Formats: sequence, C-alpha cells, structure tokens
Amino acid sequence: MKMNEGWTDVTFNGRDPVYLQVVRHFKEQLATGRLEAGQIIPSRRELGAMLKINPNTAQKAYKEMEEQQLIVTEGNSPSRITLDDNLLRSIRSELISEAVDAFVVSVRKIDVPVEELLDIVKQKYLERNEIERQVQEGGDHA
Amino acid sequence: MIKVVDIHKRYRGRSVLNGASFTVEKGQITCLIGINGAGKSTVLKAIMGLTPLKSGSILIDGQPIDKNLYEQVAFVPDHLTMPPGMKLSEGLQFMQDFYQSWNANRAEELMTFFSLDRTERIGNLSKGTAAKFNLVLGLSQDTAYVLMDEPFSGIDMFSRGLIAEVFSSHLIEDRGVLLTTHEIGEVEHLIDRALLMKDGAICRDFQCEQIRSEEGKSIVDVMREVYQG
Amino acid sequence: MNRYLKLVHMEVDRFKYILAGLMSLTLICQFGGVIWWTKSAVSNRESGAWMNGGSMGYILNSSTSGNLSFTHVLFNTQFIFMIPILMSIGVIAIYVFLIWYRDWLGRNTFIYRLLTLPTARRHIYFAKLTAILIFIFGLVSFQLALLPVEKLIFNLIVPSDMRDPSNISNIIYANPALEMLIPWQFDSFLVYYVIGIIAVLVIFAAILIERSYGRLGILYAILYLGISVFLLLFPMAGLGLDNVNGYLYPNEIFAIELVMCVVVMTVSVWIGCRLISKKITV
Repeated sequence: MKMNEGWTDVTFNGRDPVYLQVVRHFKEQLATGRLEAGQIIPSRRELGAMLKINPNTAQKAYKEMEEQQLIVTEGNSPSRITLDDNLLRSIRSELISEAVDAFVVSVRKIDVPVEELLDIVKQKYLERNEIERQVQEGGDHA
Repeated sequence: MIKVVDIHKRYRGRSVLNGASFTVEKGQITCLIGINGAGKSTVLKAIMGLTPLKSGSILIDGQPIDKNLYEQVAFVPDHLTMPPGMKLSEGLQFMQDFYQSWNANRAEELMTFFSLDRTERIGNLSKGTAAKFNLVLGLSQDTAYVLMDEPFSGIDMFSRGLIAEVFSSHLIEDRGVLLTTHEIGEVEHLIDRALLMKDGAICRDFQCEQIRSEEGKSIVDVMREVYQG
Repeated sequence: MNRYLKLVHMEVDRFKYILAGLMSLTLICQFGGVIWWTKSAVSNRESGAWMNGGSMGYILNSSTSGNLSFTHVLFNTQFIFMIPILMSIGVIAIYVFLIWYRDWLGRNTFIYRLLTLPTARRHIYFAKLTAILIFIFGLVSFQLALLPVEKLIFNLIVPSDMRDPSNISNIIYANPALEMLIPWQFDSFLVYYVIGIIAVLVIFAAILIERSYGRLGILYAILYLGISVFLLLFPMAGLGLDNVNGYLYPNEIFAIELVMCVVVMTVSVWIGCRLISKKITV
C-alpha cells in the first residue's frame, strides 16, 4: 500500500530530538512526492506504531507540524497535509538548501573551482539517476 | 505518580540502594539505566514489596504498597514466574481468577499479536516465547502503572522488535511505565525519561528529547559521560 | 476469603498427581496383600494342610476353630500394608518443606507471583497450611475408607463357613502403622495429630525465617527449631514426670506442657504471618 511505504523503514539517530526527525521525515516524503498536498496522514497512534516510537513523541511531532502549518486538522477528521502551495514549495527549498549547505561545507575543505564542481555534480547526479532506473527495471522484471 | 524517596538497602554487607529518589509519571515511559549490579532490579522489587527496605518510602498515588495496589501496578519480572506444569491457558485463567483488573480481551489480543499457543506448557517455552507470555500477563491487567525488569534481556532480535512494538502501541498509552534495561539501543527512541543509576543512587534524571534539543546528546552519550567519564 | 480458597485450591491442585499416586500405591499394596494372603490361607485350609500342621505363619493367632478372620489377615499382611503408609508419611514430611521451597527453586520462581497477588499475604501462609492438613487427613480418611472394602474382598474370597467375625478396634490394632494413624483413644489421637500440626507450624516459621534473613537465615531458622523443640519437650522430659518425689504434680506438668504447646503454636503462626507480610525477600 502506498500509505505504508516509506513509513516502516525509518531509522532514527539518537542525537536529534526524535519528534523533529519525524517532522523532517514528513518533509522528505513531501519533497520526493510520496506525500501529496492535501493527503490524509495516519493518526498519531498509527504513526507511532508504524515508526516504532513512543505515542508521546508522535503527538509532539504532530503538534510541531501543526505549528509549522504543515498539517491541518479540522475538528474530528483525520489530519491532512496542507494545501498551501507556498508552504510546500518553501519546504522543498528548505530541504534542498539544507542538503546543499551540508555538501558545500564538506566540499569546501577541498580547493576546487566552482565550475568544475558543478560539472562533477551534474555528472554524478545523472549517473545516480541511471543506476536507480536500472534497479527499478530489474525490480520490474523480477 | 510513583514516588520513590531516599530508599536505602543493604545486602551482603554492600549498599545496594543508597538514597535513590525519583518519580514515575503516568503517560510517560521512564527507563532506569545502570550497569550490572547497580540495583535496578532491586528498585523494582522494592516498589512491588518483594524485598524490604532499610529506610526511605515508596508511595503509589500517595499510598504505600499494599495488597490493593497490586491491582494498580503490574510487574513483569525478568523471568516468567508461573509454575512450569501449567499450560498458557491455565496461566491466563489463574490471572483472571485473582485480578479484578484483568482484561481478557486484551489478553487475547496480545496472545495473537505474539502468536502464542495456549496449549503449550510454561516449562517448555523458549526464552523468547516466555518473555512474550510474561508481557501478556503484565500488560493484560488494566493497571495505571507497569514495571518491567529487563524485558529484552537474552531475547532474539526479532522477538525484541516485536516487544518494542508494544511500547509504541495503545497498550502502553496513558500508563506510567518504568523499565530497566541494558539494551539501550532497542529503546533509545521509545523512552521519554531516563534515570541513570550509579552507586545505588540516581545520578542523572532527564527528559530525553530535552537533552537532544538542548545539548545534542543521545542517551548513550550521557551514559558514556556518567559511567566512563 | 474467596482468594484464600482459590489459593487452597491451587495448592491442592499442584499436588494432585502425587496424592493420587500415594493413594493408588496404598490401594494396590493393600488390596494385593489381602487378596494374595487370603487366597493362600483359604487354599491352605481347603487342602487340609492346616490340619496337618502346615506353614507356621498361619498357625499364629488363629482362632481355635481354625477359621479366618479379617483381623488375622491384617496381622499377617502388616509389612505390605505399612510400606505405602510409611511412604505417604515420608512424602508429606518432605512436602512440608517443598510446598514453600518449590516456589523459589528452578527457573520460574512462582513466589514472585504469589507475593504480588492482590490478597493479604497471610492467606498464602494459611493456604499452604490448609493444603498440608487436607493431604494428611485426606490420606487417613482414604485409608479408613479402604478398610471396609478390604473386608468385603476378604468376605468374597473366604466362604462364610470359614469366617470368624472381627471388630474394628481389633482390626486396627492388628497393624502397628494403622494403630498409629487411627488411634483408638481420643487423647492419643489428639496428642499425635496436635503434635503433628505444631511440628508443621514450627517448620513453616523456620522456613520463612530462613527465607527472610539472607545468609544468616539458615542459622536463625535452626535456632528457632531448637528453641521450639526444647520448649515442647522440657516439661515432659525435664520436670521430673516420672519422679515420684518430684516438685510438681503430674497434672501441673501437663498444664505447663499444654501452655508450652499453645505458646509455640501461636508464636509460630504469628512469626510466619509477620515475616511473609513484611520481611520476606525474593
């Protein structure tokens, strides 16, 4: 089921607050298109069970997401992802810039001109796409 | 709330408990952490009235432990404590006979969740299966508090995962859980509060998410500081 | 009260196979002995061997008419009758200890469960005591119930013209073990069984002392046993009961003995209940 994919294989590190890691996971799911705008999300109990975390933590994560307006809860209906396009786009940007930041910080230690760097990035990125495409096709044939 | 205040106990000339004090709140999973012989099991036994204390007090919702409180606090010891000749179904019946807080539906649910065979004899169970049945006996009581002594000890990886799932479920919600464990890896993401025990007393007492937010440390990091520093 | 009864039921249930075993052993040995001996006695008489001075055993205690009585049978089957009785006594004696220690030994220490049941701790103590009493009186009653059946078997094997009647007290006296179990005089009955119960109470207290005091527990327990035995024996043995010129009248000595019994009983029960409620440790 599409709902359960991507929920049950999350690993958490011990150093970042778990609830924030949950929020981050939601954002990643959004950015990769596994979660769509307006989609219904599991209840906090279901989420706790799927992610194997404490129900309190799931609760905290939901609260944080509501505060960030990432999810919307109306009355007694299940919560859903926001329909706010601006917010969704800003999340995408947020994740991209976080990843790029981390990359830049680590690559700056090596003295490389930016153009060469960009070429390598593009090449690696396309290589990755190719590998993943082959894996998927291999999976389809099996 | 379970309130433990300044408990002391000596055993074979050694101070096993030396002024330990802490509280266990409802709706939270609290974990007592310590090296072997630190006195973790002794604390749980003392709360349950299974061993006397030299001094100090333990109050559960304001009352000292007595026979009625056994309907409020369930204990899951580190080994199964039912006669080996009994079948699992007879064990469940025994609990139902004695405890008003016994929830037979919940027991059924858990038996199915753990895939346990009711006709099997307790003495024939493997360690992992015995641990699961032990949990069934403890969690099927509708108690406000659950104490667990090393629920993961000596269990195979898959059974451990299954047991950890119980902690994320509605079975634990709203209850006050106090567990002891060595296997901090299994519970790092599950517990709300950690109590680090050293030399018979609690030397660190913190909310896990708070330590992560404020100091960027995991429970294991703090443990290293305390036990190896 | 309800939970106390459930505990009693549980304690009896745990022992049921051994109890059934003892009862079966008793039945088999005794029926077997009666049948075998009676048959050979009958055939002995029928073949005329008795008239001609056959095996010695049959001559002893025979009535002058040469007929057989049930008492006679019991007298001659003493040994086989006693085996299951002595075994039962032995097993029960061991179980007085095991009824407690079995809950501590092994992988599955049931004592944890017992002590955390929502019931007063003294109910556990009294349930075990009650169970032991049930076993003792159960076996004795079973033995008593077997006797008329054995007599019936006897009657079936021996033709009526060869039979002599026997009365119940002779029957019991014919076998020393039976005589001890079912004493004819009420005061002997009282003495044997009351002493037995006091012994159980003292042992229970000693066991609970041993379990409550760690390494020194066994020493304290033995000390307690020693003191109790001394207090119980001293009046009868040490105050000169057999000394005609002794200081105290026999009745006074008996009274002191009685007081000692009551004291030891009460203290043992009190110690037992108190230790299991407050001091016991797993």
